[in-house]
Amino acid sequence: MPMAQATGTIPQRRLDALAGRWRWSASRRREAITAYLFLVPFLVFFAIFIVRSVVYGINVSFYDWKVLAPDHKWLGLKNYETLLKDPVWWTSIRNTAIFALLTVIGTTILALAAALAVNAPIRGRDFFRVVFYAPGVLSVGVVGILWQWMMDTNFGVINYGLNLLGLPKIPWLSDANVVLPSLSLVTIWWGFGFPMLIFLAGLQGIPEPLYEAAKIDGANSRQLFFRITLPLLRPTILFVTVTQFIAHLQVFGQPYIITGGGPGYASYSVIIYLYQQAVRYLQAGYASAIAIGLAVIMIGLTLLQFAFLGRRPEGE
Amino acid sequence: MSATRTFRLKNVGLYIFLLILTAMVGFPLLLMVGESFMHSNEIIRWPPIVIPGDPTLENYTKMFTQQDLNLPRWLFNSVFVASSYTLAVLVVCSLAAYAFARLNFPGRNVLFFLFLVTITIPSQVTFIPNYLLMRDLKFLDTYNALIWPGVANVFGVFLLRQFFMAIPKELEEAAILDGASRFGVYWRVILPLSTNALIALAIFVFLNNYNDLFWPLLVTNRLEMRTLPAGLTVMNGAYGTLDRGLVLAGATFASLPVLFFYIIFQRRILKGITLTGMGGQ
Repeated sequence: MPMAQATGTIPQRRLDALAGRWRWSASRRREAITAYLFLVPFLVFFAIFIVRSVVYGINVSFYDWKVLAPDHKWLGLKNYETLLKDPVWWTSIRNTAIFALLTVIGTTILALAAALAVNAPIRGRDFFRVVFYAPGVLSVGVVGILWQWMMDTNFGVINYGLNLLGLPKIPWLSDANVVLPSLSLVTIWWGFGFPMLIFLAGLQGIPEPLYEAAKIDGANSRQLFFRITLPLLRPTILFVTVTQFIAHLQVFGQPYIITGGGPGYASYSVIIYLYQQAVRYLQAGYASAIAIGLAVIMIGLTLLQFAFLGRRPEGE
Repeated sequence: MSATRTFRLKNVGLYIFLLILTAMVGFPLLLMVGESFMHSNEIIRWPPIVIPGDPTLENYTKMFTQQDLNLPRWLFNSVFVASSYTLAVLVVCSLAAYAFARLNFPGRNVLFFLFLVTITIPSQVTFIPNYLLMRDLKFLDTYNALIWPGVANVFGVFLLRQFFMAIPKELEEAAILDGASRFGVYWRVILPLSTNALIALAIFVFLNNYNDLFWPLLVTNRLEMRTLPAGLTVMNGAYGTLDRGLVLAGATFASLPVLFFYIIFQRRILKGITLTGMGGQ
């Protein structure tokens, strides 16, 4: 009796609302299940090859972990202590940082200049777009073999050309002070095409009326570039520099193939060191510490870049 | 009058810049192609030449006949691995991206944050654990080791998610009213509308895999399992002096498919990048 009475007192619309909510949550549950079915393949790979490996890698770095050894000795932070006192580590950090800085600055400026040029309505721009992107399809092995010979001090075609122009020979790869800019030059040549495409996409996203309005107000092309193009490209520049930094701090192939890290240790990069420790000396523990040391530096630099470049432009 | 003249003058400057840049970018490529058609005595000639005086296909025929070099095998490995990898990334990432773009589910924000964090962690952290895993799974020196570890491409998920979100929801709702399942919508509505983004992502991940050196060096040891970049370094070390003409013929040959793909699709790639917002807008 009280039940019936109670039911009778609940307004019909509330019942409907309750029923509706129930139906809604059932469809919601179905939607969640569908979503996870869509996600399963990705999550499986993500869990095995990324999450597990990052956790595992951090763990390995606390051991004296030899690749083929049956068991491994716990070292705590010892690998990191060794790392901080390791002159080869610091040399490789210095080389990698110089290389990455030169390459990122060079790539960004060249890619932006090329994008502005091939964004203009001129004849043959598809041709230029293809040529500028073309080196990017080569593998690092080919890039290395090609430039190793071109940059040879005595028999290289570049110094031959300089000689024809009456200029002195440059010891591209054999001088410790020149080798990093040389490798950076090779890398800029190889890789500026993709950032150029990204800048091009960014430029095409800037609404044309903005330029027209500014032109009516009497702005010259320099003002158009510094007041409109550059501020509006800020997110693009951030994207390009961040991804370029992450890529170039992991430089391996160019020095490994072209100079073998030399002369001496002048172009020895962090990843070459990691590779040598892991593959040549089978020191997985120490190699992991190197990787995590680099990761910490890279995360720090990325945050710094966001802090400097990620600020919203004034007036927005 | 003066307006048109300055316009022309500006274009002259532009062309000079473009032509100088084309010469600097194109010269090494010209050298590569030129030398691949030279006899070995022309390659080592001093002063150096770029255009072969007596063009020959010698290097190309040698590439496919010389047994110990395995260049055709490396080329096959590279193309096979990079294609399989690209296909796997496109499938796996587009499925995940659809869930993030269109579906509500618990844990969505947590997962998204986790993905963001892993983007800043350099892949080298995962190299050794993944290497050990490959060894334990007996995947070393197999295609499995070269294809699977990089498939969870977080960047790909972000890119496609952005693109999918820009597709009008009405199209999807119409398909659902017609009785399509969620998978049907993904397969028959979303994917066909996203070809530009898929092509842009495809060329990006294909090239990354095709040109990767570090990982193939780590997980392959047998000569016939090397990819082209890894194989070339083996030659460099094992033979001391390498046959430049032969290597450059291989390189020219290897880059042609990718270059053609890029030439054919370059406008669509650009459109794909524009619409995914990678360019910032």
